[in-house]
Amino acid sequence: MFDLIKSGKDKTPLPPKPMEEMPHVKLGIDYKKWCDSQPHRNKWRYIRWSVLIFMNLLFVFSFWLDLSFLEGSLSGSRLFGFYLMDPFNSLQELFISAKTGHIVHLTTNFFIGITTIVVFYFLLGGRTFCSWLCPYHFLAEITEKLHNYLVKKKKIKEHKFNIGLRYVFWISFLLLAFFTTNLVFEDLNPVGIISRAIIYGPGLILLWVLALLLFEIVYSKRFWCRYVCPIGTTYTMIGKLSPLTIRFELDKCGYCRDCQTVCLVPHELWFVQRGKATQQVHYTGSDCTNCGLCIDTCAGEALKYVVKGFDKF
Amino acid sequence: MENQKKDISRRQFIKASAIAVGSVAAIGIGVKYVQKYDDKADFQKILRPPGAILEDDFIYACIKCGLCVQICPVQAIKLAGINQVLSYGTPYINVRNQACDFSCDSLQCVETCPTAALNFVQFKEEGEKAVEEYDKTHDYKNPGYNPFKSQIKAMKEAVKMGTAIVHEKTCLATNGKGFKGTPRGKDFKGIYRSPNGKEAKASPLATKEFDREICDLCVTECPIGEIAIIMDKTESEGKVTFKPKVLDGCTGCGVCVMVCPTEPTSITIEPKKD
Repeated sequence: MFDLIKSGKDKTPLPPKPMEEMPHVKLGIDYKKWCDSQPHRNKWRYIRWSVLIFMNLLFVFSFWLDLSFLEGSLSGSRLFGFYLMDPFNSLQELFISAKTGHIVHLTTNFFIGITTIVVFYFLLGGRTFCSWLCPYHFLAEITEKLHNYLVKKKKIKEHKFNIGLRYVFWISFLLLAFFTTNLVFEDLNPVGIISRAIIYGPGLILLWVLALLLFEIVYSKRFWCRYVCPIGTTYTMIGKLSPLTIRFELDKCGYCRDCQTVCLVPHELWFVQRGKATQQVHYTGSDCTNCGLCIDTCAGEALKYVVKGFDKF
Repeated sequence: MENQKKDISRRQFIKASAIAVGSVAAIGIGVKYVQKYDDKADFQKILRPPGAILEDDFIYACIKCGLCVQICPVQAIKLAGINQVLSYGTPYINVRNQACDFSCDSLQCVETCPTAALNFVQFKEEGEKAVEEYDKTHDYKNPGYNPFKSQIKAMKEAVKMGTAIVHEKTCLATNGKGFKGTPRGKDFKGIYRSPNGKEAKASPLATKEFDREICDLCVTECPIGEIAIIMDKTESEGKVTFKPKVLDGCTGCGVCVMVCPTEPTSITIEPKKD
């Protein structure tokens, strides 16, 4: 059981596969041809975008048409009358209200909402929220293409930071809420801002989201999602032991690293490089948003959605 | 070589972290400054929905989900924009456009709030008390028995969003004028349930016609009734003067502001002070 949790990064790497075990040699085709055999598959991307747009429109139409399916916004909502709460928002709320004594007034629905979300995203892989529901992710995913284009044309330089930076932000924002007794983060949170803007109507604050997107285009790829967003960090923590992940099988891999190129969190696919894998089978960690881009692009079909512990059957 | 690389990346991480903590701290200082400025300035704060807890608590207790906005049947509640600075995303009521007329009959916005920024407890207690009182004096075998009505009435009366203030300079009644027609014109979108009629639901103000010798719309259209506002009639030296008088029972719902025919309004709501 414990093996399923460990990433296996600390073990000594297996030696690279010999030429006769490479998938293209087995199929008897040219390596480049083999790499390009799955270039335009978009199955999971379209499924994911459909879910993302459908869920966000469900919020909108529940309000506009008074349907009462999914009321509220992404910071707090009711699904058929059943409450759902944003975990980081709720955490700040708990911290501040513990300080001021408001905590005794918090409703049962509030705690039901947090528990539901934590259990739900624990089962579905934590950061799954990001790529399957978050409207900011959707915009950032599109603007990322522009960023990649500009980098390729050498108009701008890519700036990378340490991924641990988000934990610094996570703690800072919690302390900020505690010391100012104000949910300051919600004023800066592009997820909540966009969600409210599409449901209740746009406002000037969208300029802040635009500024963030511009910063991501010209300076650092996916800056907010990778290094700042405390909501995503909370989901990373929730998904640490999550059963739903992506499985990598070494014997089907051709070391082309196409998956790492398209991946939104490439450090989670560290094992696809030649000579890095330590086990025959690897699972992605909790930073993985389960977006499925790597599954779509993999020529050898070495990557797959699995429920840990059940994939052997 | 490996160590040197690690050292550089660690130094970069510390540098980036310092910038991160610094910028968050700067935001914190900015927020503190705005809070201080807000406390000093005695400008009118925005009117909160029924059951809102004290403003200092409300500002963090509200998670800006907008459930109260969605549940309101007359759509009186809106979310504040960034022009309200720290109140961005929190609910408020612009009573001149659409007042809270209590036609939901259960204070749904308070009931739906998950974080008790709109606190339901006090209304529930008032309602239960009212039912108890009602049970003592009324026979439940009576076909007209309906404790729900008295419960709703008690809950309504327990609301305290603010208080109405009459501006005598422009008020039609104090100037001895009457009013005939539709108060806010035919294009006005606001709706409310008239307390005198037999309306089950709120209907547009634009469809209502009034004809008063002395304008008393704020008094007759008040959903709370005579404990909130009355028309004060005084006679001195053979001259009769009228003046709408706001009493302690005023909840600050703002129906009087919405129906006031003068432009600008002759009656406004002062939000409850902390």
